Amino acid sequence: MSLEIDCQLQRDKFNLEVHLTVAPGSVLAITGENGSGKTSTLDMIAGLLACTTGKISLNDRVFDDSTTNQFVQPEKRGVSTVFQGGGLFSHMTVEKNMIFGRGAAFRNTPRFDSAVEQFNLTGLLSRKPSTLSGGQRQRVALARAFLAPSEILLLDEPTTSLDTTSRDEVRSAMKTFFETYNGVVVLVSHDAAEIAELATSVAQITISRGENTAAVLRN
Amino acid sequence: MKRSLSAPSGLWLVALPAAAIVIVPVLAVFWRTDWSSFLTSISNETSRTALVLSLRTSLVATSLALVFGTPLAWLLANRDFKFKSLVRAFCVLPMVLPPVVGGVALLYAFGRRGLVGARLDEWFGIQLAFTETAAILAQFFVAAPFFILVMEAAFDQVDRRIVGTARTFGAGPWRTFATVTLGLVRPSLLAALVLTWARALGEFGATIAFAGNTAGRTQTVPLAVYSQLESGGDDALALSTLMMIVSLGVLIALRGRWVSALRRGGQ
Repeated sequence: MSLEIDCQLQRDKFNLEVHLTVAPGSVLAITGENGSGKTSTLDMIAGLLACTTGKISLNDRVFDDSTTNQFVQPEKRGVSTVFQGGGLFSHMTVEKNMIFGRGAAFRNTPRFDSAVEQFNLTGLLSRKPSTLSGGQRQRVALARAFLAPSEILLLDEPTTSLDTTSRDEVRSAMKTFFETYNGVVVLVSHDAAEIAELATSVAQITISRGENTAAVLRN
Repeated sequence: MKRSLSAPSGLWLVALPAAAIVIVPVLAVFWRTDWSSFLTSISNETSRTALVLSLRTSLVATSLALVFGTPLAWLLANRDFKFKSLVRAFCVLPMVLPPVVGGVALLYAFGRRGLVGARLDEWFGIQLAFTETAAILAQFFVAAPFFILVMEAAFDQVDRRIVGTARTFGAGPWRTFATVTLGLVRPSLLAALVLTWARALGEFGATIAFAGNTAGRTQTVPLAVYSQLESGGDDALALSTLMMIVSLGVLIALRGRWVSALRRGGQ
C-alpha cells in the first residue's frame, strides 16, 4: 500500500527514468542538480505530465499506465501541491486561496480555524498574495495543501529563495504538518539541513550529460 | 549643466510635428463645435437613430467577439495545432486590410450571390447584405482581431504552473478556466472589450460596402457623419464631437493599459 512509480519521460534529448516506492506516513526527499527532472517527477505524480512509458499507482488505484492507456486527470488524483513560489492565485485573497475548491461554507469550520492558527495566518486572511512576504506566502500555500483532502502531498523547493528567518518558520510549519499527515509526502529540496530535519528517506537523481542526457531517480 | 544623462539634441523639433498632426484636428473639432446647439444636433431624428443603431450593433459585435474570440485566443495561446500560424495570420488580417476591402470580401462571402450567402438565401431564405446583421458582421470582422490579439497575449502570460496548481486542488479544466485563468486575465479582458467596442463603434469602410448606408437600418454614426458632410448638413460636426468625446473617454478609462495590453497581454 504505497505510491509506486516505474516510469520514463522522453523529451527531445532528455530521458528521465523514475523508480520510486513511497509508503504513507513517510517523507521522501528528492535532490539533484537543476534541470535533472525533479519538477517533472512531481508533475508526473500530480498528473500535469503523462509518462512516456510506464506506470504510476497509489495503492490499487492506477494514475497513469502507458500499456493500458490509462490517465487520471490531476483533479481526480487526490494530490495537494506546494509548488515553487507557493503557486497562490494572485487575484484571490488569502482566505479564498485556502478554501479553493471547498465552497464558501468551509471557512466556518473548526478545521479552517485550526489551519489559520497552525500556520500563523491570523490577520492575513483578507490580504492579496502580492502584499505578503515570501515566508507568509509559503505558509498560505502550506495551509491550502493542509486543508485539501489528499493522499499525496508534493512540495517543490518550498524554502528556496526565502531569507533565514522565514525559512525557519516555514520549515517548522512543515514539520508540524508532516507529523499529522497520513499520506505520502514527496519533497524536492536542495537544502541538506532541511532534508535531515524533515525527510524519512532521500533519493538522488543521477545524471549523465552528453549528446543525450539521461537522468535516473530511484530509491 | 543639467544633471542627467543627455539625449540626442534637437529631437523635440522633429517630434513636435508628429504630435501636432494628431492633436490639432482634435482641438479644431472642439473649437468649431457650437456648444449651444450641440445637444439639439445630436438629439434630432437622424442623429438619434444613428446613435441608437451604433450603440446596439457595436455592443452585439463586441459580445460576439467575447463569446467566439475567447476560445480562439485561448487555443492559439495554449494548444499546438496544424496551420496555427496560418489561422493566427488570418485572424489578424483585418487589422491591416483596408476596411472597405473587408466589406467587399464580406459581400462576396455573405452577399446574396456570395459563397455562403447564396446557400443561406436558397436554403433558408436568409439575406444578410444591407441589413443590420450585416452592419454587425462588418464591425465584428474589423474589431474582433483586436480582441483575439490582446487575449492571446493575455492567456500566454498566465503561468502554466498556477493553472496546474488549480487542477491538483480539485478543479476540472472548465472550473480552472472560469475561476483561475479568467480571474488572472481580467484586466486584459476589460481592456480588450473596451478596445474592441471602440473599434466597432467607429467602423465605416466595411459597413458601407457590406451593409450600405440606409438611415434607421444600417446608418451608424460614422456613416451619418459622412452623409451629413456630403449633404452639407450641420450635424456632422456635432456627431464628430460626440465620437471624439467617447474615444477620449475610452482612452482615459483605460489609462494607457491597452497599449501595454497590446504589447504583452496586460496584467
